[in-house]
Amino acid sequence: MRFVTGELTGLAPVISTAGLTKHYGAVHALTDLTVEVGAGVTGLVGANGAGKSTLIKILLGLLEPTGGHARVLGHDIEEASEDIRRLVGYMPEHDCLPPDVSASDFVVHMARMSGLGASAARERAADVLRHVGLDEERYRPMGGYSTGMKQRAKLAQALAHDPRLVFLDEPTNGLDPAARNDMLRLVERIGGEFGIAVLVTSHLLGELEQVSDHVIVLDGGHLLRSSATGDFIEHTGSLLVEVVGTETERDLLGEALAKRGLTCRPRGAMVAIDPPPTELAHEGAAFDLIRDVAAELGLGLMRLQPDRRHLEDVFLDGGAAHV
Amino acid sequence: MSDVPQSRPGVIHDLGYRRYDGLREGTATIARTLFITGLRHAYGLGRSGKSKVMPFLLLAMSVLPALIVVGVVVLTGMSSLPISYADYTNQTQLLVSLFAAAQAPVLFSRDLRHRSIVLYLARPLSAPLFALMRWLSLAVALWFFMAVPTLLLFVGAMLSGLDKSDQVTQLLKAVALQTLLALLVAGITGLISSVSLRRGFAVVGSVMALIVLTGVVTAIQAIAADQDADAVSVAAGLFSPWSLYTGLANAWDAGVETFVPVDGAWVLAYALVALLLVAGCLLGLVARFQKVGSR
Repeated sequence: MRFVTGELTGLAPVISTAGLTKHYGAVHALTDLTVEVGAGVTGLVGANGAGKSTLIKILLGLLEPTGGHARVLGHDIEEASEDIRRLVGYMPEHDCLPPDVSASDFVVHMARMSGLGASAARERAADVLRHVGLDEERYRPMGGYSTGMKQRAKLAQALAHDPRLVFLDEPTNGLDPAARNDMLRLVERIGGEFGIAVLVTSHLLGELEQVSDHVIVLDGGHLLRSSATGDFIEHTGSLLVEVVGTETERDLLGEALAKRGLTCRPRGAMVAIDPPPTELAHEGAAFDLIRDVAAELGLGLMRLQPDRRHLEDVFLDGGAAHV
Repeated sequence: MSDVPQSRPGVIHDLGYRRYDGLREGTATIARTLFITGLRHAYGLGRSGKSKVMPFLLLAMSVLPALIVVGVVVLTGMSSLPISYADYTNQTQLLVSLFAAAQAPVLFSRDLRHRSIVLYLARPLSAPLFALMRWLSLAVALWFFMAVPTLLLFVGAMLSGLDKSDQVTQLLKAVALQTLLALLVAGITGLISSVSLRRGFAVVGSVMALIVLTGVVTAIQAIAADQDADAVSVAAGLFSPWSLYTGLANAWDAGVETFVPVDGAWVLAYALVALLLVAGCLLGLVARFQKVGSR
């Protein structure tokens, strides 16, 4: 079974894995993962312990897989791990900043550790620190930083050497709503304007829905699903109808539709209609019926739209149906 | 994405993201950069003012006796140095041990304690190369610490017109022994610092391994020699880096007295133990960095 995400037209995938497996004794961190990731922002979703960080560490060559293969930017993870690490950036989930060094000095040093010369490293560090939004505070020791500033500094070091791909492990962890939003906009810019492929993890699905072009869902080390974000929130065949008035009008419409053979239930001020039965399944039939019923009852139709799924539903479904 | 240009006061313009197309150095250059940074950090250079105090204070203390000796030799026109180059290092061993104990945590504990090791290992240098460079930084810093007073003594000897070829031979022997000692001590204190991440514990652990252990070994050696148990006295010397150093210096005729002369097969044993200890410490360091880096 192969899943492909990203803009793969004519381009080699940024990441491709084949049967990637990592077992720690009885603990199965990752099981038979076969997935491809393209350019743009790819979200890696899963609960804690779903295998997201393990996957990133294997791709970086920090962990050895128990089985399977993977390629990153065209390099095999086992044969050319060093070449991969030259071209990727990594922002770990946990704290990793020495408290007695300023962000400016630290990012310069990290850029040099990626192979940039002294003056190039200084220039790049100034650039990326500006992009992540660390201004005057970049000259202060990082020990005094807020969580938001630390996350920015961690992101800056991941971008310092202008990588072609960045792994961002839970970049919004511990941030307040405003800082979270800033970080997500930044992730979106990195994948778009900066032209750097992004693999970003989160256990919050709503976040990734906002910024990623593609989403990979892991559950207990297994691939649950991988596809474009648009497909996740695809139209399910269900419909939502709202009429002018109060709950009385809503229920009136719902009961009338139920008599005509549609399964209805109230959802807020709206009536949610399950995918219509076969005799009403052809194009527009259900829409016509709803229009007619509303007209008969003299109700003003305010909204009639397909019911879109959210990423959360993938989990609520248990996902089994998709794999 | 390409949203409204930010018009915050004070920010004049946003140049947008600029790519880097310049040169990217190879692994050797990156390793060298790490080595030099580590060497500087061992002396507090490129770090806070406070962190320069300890290394330079210790260096000054180890240089001062050499200056006095040089002064005396030059002024009185003595026919030989009152202390050999190799023995000078032996006599100042407390300072060398303290320098190693105090500075090893800077190079080996910080990256592990703050987890920045992960950021290093996500870059081209591998864990073994990283450990090797850190070890080399400390070893060279230690070697420099011992070489400065040694060179001062040599300059004094030359100024007072002592026989050049004799002095050069003694100097080279001392430098070679100091190199081995630096590699040993750097390995031991580095390994201790990489395991006990709290600076205090690391310092205490290194002091135990270098100063306390050496004291115990010296006591055993003295008692055994006194009881005419020569073999025991020499064998005890295998258990501390300093007694390995003095033993090898004695065997090589580098001007260091031991309780019982080290000769015959013992020389080989001393050299072998020293080399095995260096290798063991290095392997331990690599394993430690690899383990922490994968977490």
